[in-house]
Parts: sequence; structure tokens; C-alpha cells
Amino acid sequence: MNGLFQYVPGNSPLHRMNPVTKILLTLSVCIAAFLTDNLFVLLFLLVFDLMIGVAAGAARKAFSIFKGLFKVSLFLFVLQVLFIRRGNRLFWIVTDEGLLTAAAVVLRLLVVCLPLALILTVTQVSDIANAMVQVLHVPYAYAFTLTTAIRFIPQFMEEMGGIMESQTARGVEFDSKNVFKKLGMLFPLCAPLLISSVRRTGATATAAEVRGFNLRTRESGYKRYGFGLVDLAAVLISAALIVGAVLIP
Amino acid sequence: MIELQSLTFRYAGADRDALHDITLTIPDGAFLGIIGPAGAGKSTLAHAIGGIVPHAVHGDFYGAVRVNGLDTADTRLTDLSRIVGTVFQDVESQIISSVVEDELLYGLENFGVPREEIEERMTFALEEVGIAALRNRTIASLSGGQRQKVAIASLVALRPKILVLDEPTGELDPSSSRQIFSLLRTLNREYGMTVVVVEQKIMLLCEFAERLAVLNEGRIERLGEVREVLGDIAGLEAIGVNCPRSARFSSLLGEKTGQPVPVCVNADEAVEAARRVIG
Repeated sequence: MNGLFQYVPGNSPLHRMNPVTKILLTLSVCIAAFLTDNLFVLLFLLVFDLMIGVAAGAARKAFSIFKGLFKVSLFLFVLQVLFIRRGNRLFWIVTDEGLLTAAAVVLRLLVVCLPLALILTVTQVSDIANAMVQVLHVPYAYAFTLTTAIRFIPQFMEEMGGIMESQTARGVEFDSKNVFKKLGMLFPLCAPLLISSVRRTGATATAAEVRGFNLRTRESGYKRYGFGLVDLAAVLISAALIVGAVLIP
Repeated sequence: MIELQSLTFRYAGADRDALHDITLTIPDGAFLGIIGPAGAGKSTLAHAIGGIVPHAVHGDFYGAVRVNGLDTADTRLTDLSRIVGTVFQDVESQIISSVVEDELLYGLENFGVPREEIEERMTFALEEVGIAALRNRTIASLSGGQRQKVAIASLVALRPKILVLDEPTGELDPSSSRQIFSLLRTLNREYGMTVVVVEQKIMLLCEFAERLAVLNEGRIERLGEVREVLGDIAGLEAIGVNCPRSARFSSLLGEKTGQPVPVCVNADEAVEAARRVIG
């Protein structure tokens, strides 16, 4: 999970695009996926997602996310096919409507998940937050919550690893193969993890306060997020996606 | 100027005072080192100067702390932070951003430093602390020592009038520790910044600080010029403060030979003193 949401530096048009435009593009893909029932449109959107991954120079990452999601999707597809009984029966209990609906659900899932993961590989979370404050007038406290949450994911992992190591050193068998046994051992970790996180949260709040958290305004950000030609293109593409999804039956 | 007047502080739920009746004046432009055994109240004292005690820490607070004439108890923490910058001992919780550059920008942006000054201040802080190459790295990818440098740089960039550092070299190797202390000296001498530093590495303090305060069980046991404080080796060791070997040597030399030997704070001075005694 750590790697999944990690920013990959680069200088592609997608990297240079205004974070707000990227959010717009992401949302447009999602909206288009929900508006359409046409499998071909969904397929096109999926290809579009992957193309964006390639354009961002994160092709390998896009495909690895796709592969990960594909396994889940396959499971979901089988489940849908088994459950939906409407339509004409093709063989055994499988119906044509079942197949079509299952395909649509799975495609939609893929189309929606991919850009949400991709946007974090081409954008720093701090840029998303700053742009949201500057351009969309989102209150800074909310943006701060977002960045801090993301900032603390690796921290949390580190701490968890530290606690597990120290427990292993004292004879707790975390390397056990038994999943249930392992789960039972993870449970007692929650208390120390929770206590240290709460303590840390307090300290971080103080650290933010002594560096002027309360003084921050919409204009405070040093980096400016302008709109360029790439952004215009992205807005047009976003509009085209939604219009296309509505018009193509 | 920092003035502490009969400051007593007891953490909520504690059964003894963390600081007891501390009266201390730190003039503008001073370089004060604070030393003492674990649990002596060093961090609490550092936090009291920055206003974190009593604003963000609960407990009983008696007496007064004034920073540039402002009573810390009556002044908002945000307003105090414009004057006093504090580097915390726990580096992890001090870092707010995910990327080094953003961490430095954070305070600069919030305190409304003019845009054209920001770049220059960031470059200065990054270079002086020795982490210019880390500018675009994520915090998660840094070692403990590197994070500590980022924390220090983010405060140095703010250029507060008073800089308080709580064990700023705790995770640093000897050469980085020296680098940080020589930066503190530069800030102190060239920018007139008042520097208050809590530190366990007494050799560094003796070399760079002008004055020393020795804390023990919440009280100030000794206060004065570095050499003056080091004059009483036996007293310091009784408290649990390790003295530099050069100072121990000069004190022993005086004792054995019956001649007056000045306190030595480094090896060169010790050699010089020995040469003079031998004649």
C-alpha cells in the first residue's frame, strides 16, 4: 500500500498539470463510467486510463495496479454471473444479462479505481492540498488533515514494524504460518500503536502551531498553481468524456 | 531578552516539580548551553522559553517567563513563535510535511515571509545544515539523522530572534554535530540570534557555548561562563555531569602541583597548560 500511493517524480504533461485539473479529469472519468451502460464506452475509458498511465511515464505502475485489480474483478465477475438470473439462459445458470451486467460492473470498477491511484503517482499530496486551498477555496484545516494523514502512513508502518520487531526479539512468533494465530498476535499491538499515535498527534499539533498553523491563509502558499494549455486540453477531454458517455447509447 | 522569574512547573499528575523556583536572565545575543542529568528538567525549561509550557502542556505553572517583554502565559503560542523558534527533541513529531522542501516552506509561508526572500532563506538553511542534496526527497526516505537536520533547517530558515534547541544532535554523528554547532555560532555571531541549546555532548557545549547552566532535579545548580562552571569538577561530577577530559586534566594538574592552572576546554589548551607547569 505504501508503494501504491507513492509519488513518482517526473516531468510529463500530467506532472505539470494543475492539481485541480487532475482532480477534474479523474472525476470526469468516474462520472463518465457511471453515466454509461455501453460496454464499448467503458472499454474505451479503461484504455484511456492506461494511456494516461503511459503518458505519465508510469506505465509499469498503471499495469501493476491493473493486474492487482484484475484479480478482484475476476472474482466479482464470477459472483455476479452466478447471482444474476434475469435474461435468456445461455448455459447452466448463466444468462446473457448476467454476463453483460457483470462485465459492466467489473469494467466500471477498473475504470474508476485506476485514475484515483494514478493521480497520487503524478501529484504530491501537498500540491493537491495547496491547490485545493488556493483554487477551490477549501478551508486549510481540511487540506491539512488530508496531508497529515498521508504523511503518517509510512510513519505508522515504521512504528508497527518497530513494535513487531521488539516483540519478536522477546519471543513472539510473528513469522508463524498460521493466519489465525498471527491475527491473534497482531491484536495486542493495537494498544501501543494507538497510544503512541495519539501522543504523536498532540506533539505534531504543537509543532504545527509553533510554525504558524493559525496564521495560514489561502494566499500563504509559496507555490502557485497556474492553468496552462495542458490544463485547457484536459478540461476539453473531461467534457468530451462526459458528453460522449451521455450521448453514446 | 528572556527572563524567568521564580518559575516552578509541575506536570499534571506528577508528584514533584519538573522545574523548581528557577530565576534566570538570558540577554539578547547570548549563547547558553543547558546541561544536566536525565530528568533534570532541561526539556521542560526549553519548552518554557518557547511557551509550549504552559500552552500545550498541562500542569501547574507558577512564576513568570517573559520573552522580549511578553509574558508567555498571556501571549498566544503563535505570536510567541514569531520570536522564539523551538527545535523539539522528538524529531518525528516535529516534521509536518512529506517532502523536505515543503517542510521548510511551511513556517515561511505561514509567517508571511515575502516571496522573494523565501528562496534565499531556504537555500541558506539547506546549505548551512548540509542537506541541500535532500531538498526534493520524501521524509519517509530519510534516516534519523537526516530528519533531525531537516527539523533544524526548517527553524533556521525562519530566523527567529531566539532559537531554542532540545538535544539537536541526538541522532547525529560527531562531524554533523560539529557542523550544527558551528552553524549555531554563525547564527549567534553574525545574525545576533540568541541561542539556547540543551545538549548532552558537553565537549561541544564547552567549545561553542559562552555560558553554561547546569540543571539538576529542576533547579539551576550552576550558572556562568563555561570556564567558571567547569572550575568545580568535583561538584559537577557529583551531580552526574560528565566533564571534558581536558578540564579534568587541568584541575588534576593544579591539584597535584599546587600551582594555579587555568581551566582547559580542549586538548590544545591542556597541552599548553602542561607545558607551562613543566616549564
